Amino acid sequence: MTTATTTPAERPLPSPRTLVDGGTRTVRRHPLLLVLALMVLVFQLTTGSFLDTGNLRGIATDAATLAIVAVPLALLVISGYLDLSVGSTLALGGLVAGWLAGQQHQSPVVAVLGAVVVGAAVGAVNGILCCYLGLSAFIVTLGMLTAVRGLAQQLFPLPLSSFGPGFAWLGGSRIAGLDAPVVIAALVLVAGALFLAVTPAGRHVFAIGVNREAAYLSGINVRRTPFTLFVVTGVAAALAGAIKASVLDSVVAGTSGAGFELTVLTAVLLGGVALTGGSGSVFGVLLGVLFLGCLQNGLTLLSVPTFWQQMAQGTALVAGAALAYFGPRLNR
Amino acid sequence: MNRTPYAPSASRRRFLALSGGAAATGLLAAAGCSAPDDGTSTAKAGDAAAGPRTLTRIGLDYPFTQLPLYSTLVKLSTAAAKKKNVSVLTTSDASNADTQATNLTTWVSQKVPAIVSFPMVFEATEAVAKAALDAGLIWVTYGGTLEHQSADIQFSFLKGGTLLGEAAATWANEQLGGKGKVAFLTDSTIQLGRERTKGMIDAFTKHAPGVDVVAREQAIDPDTGLSKTRAVLAKHPDLNIVLGVTDAAAYGGYKALQQTGRKSTDAKTFVGGQDGAAPSLVAIKQGTFYRASAALAPQDIANAVVDVPLAVAAGKANAGAQVPITLVQHGDTARIDALLAQNS
Repeated sequence: MTTATTTPAERPLPSPRTLVDGGTRTVRRHPLLLVLALMVLVFQLTTGSFLDTGNLRGIATDAATLAIVAVPLALLVISGYLDLSVGSTLALGGLVAGWLAGQQHQSPVVAVLGAVVVGAAVGAVNGILCCYLGLSAFIVTLGMLTAVRGLAQQLFPLPLSSFGPGFAWLGGSRIAGLDAPVVIAALVLVAGALFLAVTPAGRHVFAIGVNREAAYLSGINVRRTPFTLFVVTGVAAALAGAIKASVLDSVVAGTSGAGFELTVLTAVLLGGVALTGGSGSVFGVLLGVLFLGCLQNGLTLLSVPTFWQQMAQGTALVAGAALAYFGPRLNR
Repeated sequence: MNRTPYAPSASRRRFLALSGGAAATGLLAAAGCSAPDDGTSTAKAGDAAAGPRTLTRIGLDYPFTQLPLYSTLVKLSTAAAKKKNVSVLTTSDASNADTQATNLTTWVSQKVPAIVSFPMVFEATEAVAKAALDAGLIWVTYGGTLEHQSADIQFSFLKGGTLLGEAAATWANEQLGGKGKVAFLTDSTIQLGRERTKGMIDAFTKHAPGVDVVAREQAIDPDTGLSKTRAVLAKHPDLNIVLGVTDAAAYGGYKALQQTGRKSTDAKTFVGGQDGAAPSLVAIKQGTFYRASAALAPQDIANAVVDVPLAVAAGKANAGAQVPITLVQHGDTARIDALLAQNS
């Protein structure tokens, strides 16, 4: 038996036509990309400062924590599950990290590890109840949203602040010219994309989301993979909480991460991930995150009054979601 | 052969049913399923005009359970009440006006003898306040005035905003020659926020008319304060003043300014908020450009929560109280320490 091999040097370079076709396919698959580009153009033309480096840096830093949670949550949704408890897990993670760094004077590494352990614990509870006991993910994680928030407020009824310069590194330092949260978000995005594209477990996520019974009969472990995703989502939420605590040098149990679950779910759905499971991509999630970040920032730059901002955001979200849904179908 | 995971086994169903039943039984037992005691030692509840009586229970309905002040207030009120042999009941409204209405109706039907309530929507609370009075209960309105009430605990939220606005305007006139740029972090969603916002903006623009108002953005939490101020700074990097309707939002603005490279002791920057929240008080004490907070003392509020219903029960005329709001600034170290101690 022989195997044909091709060295990279022998591969033909893509022609300009191929590149254009590839770009067109990407836009057809992700029409939100076009909307995002138009939105950026409009904001730049109307404000004159949207594309300033400082503003883009602010958008990226704000969007980083959203992306860190959105990627694992998207994988979970693709596998047919859901986690609505991420907002409260974010708060608890931030509180534990802040408490360890500020009041227990632990190193930043220990503080972050503490948050990660707490996030993993919340994710594991969700995973056991949903994947092994078969309870509804919607009900379980909605309940955990409230329960974890209550736990956070009971454990930390007062605001925590002044975590020290060591812990501030997590949210305030720069790596290769980029803010640390942005670098962490980029790593999460790349890891998520590689996981989906090149690992068998990534393909299992799609298979479970499309048809769980068929996946089970194909020999895929339909419990372990989503369970792991629940744990990873909990870890990501807690890590995001630690980053937010570091950026703000303070954290309040009652308000930190309040409503975050809806924002992150919106980003995931805007990115074309099907709530019914079975389809979606990390690139789409990135677009959803950037869309939300740019919209919020642009409306603030334009000094749009509060209630108009709310209406504009709601309308844009519905339009974006409709485009993400109908766009690929119209092009078939 | 493995079983399919879609049909829970009978033993699992039994386990869930049994554990659910046991949990429910335990909760009911813990909650105490007996008829509620009316909490007064004399006369029947419902007879508010029947002369002095002794209170043994006060219901404190503070709806914003997510705020740090909630925990502090419950702790301090409970301690203050204990000294007078009174117990304090609390609601868990979670900032939801519907939940608040349900909880208050429950208290009225259970004849909790004195209710101190901070209405989220004042107009919507009139009916339940009237029902409480009709049932002979004491109704104390917190943070405002209702048509139907026994007394009220007043805070001038407008005054808090005014104090902050005036202080910032004075600073702008002295340090910036009356010029510069200001961003307001506001709230238009609840009465308290609207009053604070109005006081803050009106006072500032009146006393420092030469300062450009470059933004009025809705923000009550640090996250939103941070992102909104960042966006404003992208357009106006020379922003001098950020005033917040809450200390939490203003603290987000403070961090945004720091993260864009502003030194925390910058002489040309002023950040101020309202509430007297611990992180802001610490920043003021440290001499940073977080320069002022219109603060309420939690102990003053807790004392009023206990004393006002007791005064009504004792038949005292004009039993209401006015809780003072004071501006805390650099140099007010003793006052800051006292506030921090109450918040600890």
